[in-house]
Amino acid sequence: MTASRLGVVVAVVVVVAVLAALPLFSSDVIIQFGINALLLAVLAQGWNIIGGYTGYASFGNSVFYGLGSYGVAIAMVQWNLPFGVGMIFGAALAVAFAFLLGVPVLRLKGHYFAIATLGLAQVMSAIVSNIGIAGQNIGLVLPPLNNDHLFYELSLGLLVIATLTVFWLTRSRFGFGLIAIRENEEGASVMGVNTTLYKVLAFALSGVFTALAGGIHAYWITFLDPESAFDISLNVKMIIMAVFGGPGTVLGPVLGAFVLSAVSEILSSKVTNLAGLFFGVVVVAAVVLMPRGVADVMRQFRRTGWRYFAENLRAHRI
Amino acid sequence: MDLLAQVLINGVLLGGLYAVMALGLALVWGVLNIVNLAHGAFIMLGAYLAWHLYTYLGIDPFLGLPVTAIIMFCVGYALQRGLLNLVVRAPMFNTLLITFGLEVVLTYLAQLAFSADFRTINPPYAGNSIALGPLVVPLARLMAFGVAVVLTVGVWVFLLRTKLGRAIRATAQNLVAARLYGVEPRHLYAVTFGIGIGLAGAAGCLYGTVSQINPYIGATLTAKCFAISIIGGLDNPLGVLVGGLVLGIIESLTVLYVGATFGDVASFGILVLVLIVRPSGLLGKTT
Repeated sequence: MTASRLGVVVAVVVVVAVLAALPLFSSDVIIQFGINALLLAVLAQGWNIIGGYTGYASFGNSVFYGLGSYGVAIAMVQWNLPFGVGMIFGAALAVAFAFLLGVPVLRLKGHYFAIATLGLAQVMSAIVSNIGIAGQNIGLVLPPLNNDHLFYELSLGLLVIATLTVFWLTRSRFGFGLIAIRENEEGASVMGVNTTLYKVLAFALSGVFTALAGGIHAYWITFLDPESAFDISLNVKMIIMAVFGGPGTVLGPVLGAFVLSAVSEILSSKVTNLAGLFFGVVVVAAVVLMPRGVADVMRQFRRTGWRYFAENLRAHRI
Repeated sequence: MDLLAQVLINGVLLGGLYAVMALGLALVWGVLNIVNLAHGAFIMLGAYLAWHLYTYLGIDPFLGLPVTAIIMFCVGYALQRGLLNLVVRAPMFNTLLITFGLEVVLTYLAQLAFSADFRTINPPYAGNSIALGPLVVPLARLMAFGVAVVLTVGVWVFLLRTKLGRAIRATAQNLVAARLYGVEPRHLYAVTFGIGIGLAGAAGCLYGTVSQINPYIGATLTAKCFAISIIGGLDNPLGVLVGGLVLGIIESLTVLYVGATFGDVASFGILVLVLIVRPSGLLGKTT
């Protein structure tokens, strides 16, 4: 391990320790903001597995989030099971969905995959609002648990596990297989990667983290309806955060989620409507000026300086 | 039987409107290889333009349609020239994202400017209808259908017969070769995108006369346009017309026989099915 690598690891450990200790000396507002930011970071990291590493730009990960939320809600409200069992049920729903629909949908490439997943995301709330056990379009009310510290630490723990999993991807056979699929799917297949299996597993892994985040969020908010559980704009957020931070990097999506959550929070405290607009402007600017994310800027900027942005512009314009 | 015939009529009328909505998306996608996720948002803007023209200036939406289309053409031209030309050679995912960002921006701007209230364009003849025996044909929908068919055929003839249309098709087939023949791609891309957005604006006018508008209708409309383009293929505007009719009829039948909330489910179910079975579209050429 080189010195700079060691530095990054030490820095990450320190940041996690500080974040874990944060609830001890901060206000409720900060903790609530923290839960939201941490859960969004989990979503961005989950998207990173399928979108960043495997190269399949899913616009439908909100489906997993909704399934996780409903898994917890149905288990706790309808079956009186504990929260932990609900989380497992939600994750199982996500895995089942990833396998059932992943096999046909992951055959599609590029635009087609993106829009097919977007279509699935739009269908889900209509379907769930007709299911009796899910409370139809009225939704479900979960038993309240007024313990923000617990939810904060759960979210942080989930983010750490998700990030460690992505780190494992960068140095495992499975992760190399995914990167090979991203770079050249036919080539990967020729080299002996079982592409269908790998893609579905990546989709399922991405879905499990997204579903667990949805489960925590549902228990925290204690109320759930089809519209908010399968909110399509959640896809916008997770993708923008991952892409802004740097898709296909270990820490980029987390960084992107923290930075964008903070800026959007500050903006919405000043002018309510500006936060949504801000996400749109950020993504437009990011795609034009830094299509490989903040992580890449940080790596290249020292060498190239401001020319970095000009070169990105020159590379893609006509 | 009468009910079924009535539903089929509604489906066909709706389908014509769908076709004109999808036409611009299919054109931009086919020529620029950009799937414009903001397409529905531009339809929404066109509808609001028509609403303002009607409410404040008293211009009938069908007469306001050319005005709206021209304004939206200029918006589209400027957007492509100033922004999208910067990323047109980037990987597909980046162009998807940038139009996604545009959709977010447009939706929020519309919400700020027009408020989230539902609006309808209600010209005096909006409630009128023509009786065909036991069947009823709503006049506004019939007119929207007529305009939609004229526009679709017009675009087809334009692409096939005019010099500019040929240049657009040549660029879609082979950019390098088209360049050698003197096509200036920056301008041509902007014109194509402008036409696409102009058509979205025109579709918005028609949509506003038959349905309610609010700032959030864009995303669903984009997905429908995409579904239609997939069903019809990108090669030919008439394919889009067929795709629109197929979607309109299926949606109407689903609403009747399965339930009102399943209309969108049916269209996206078909989208996913068609994608899986025939990714180049039902009518498109296999690659």
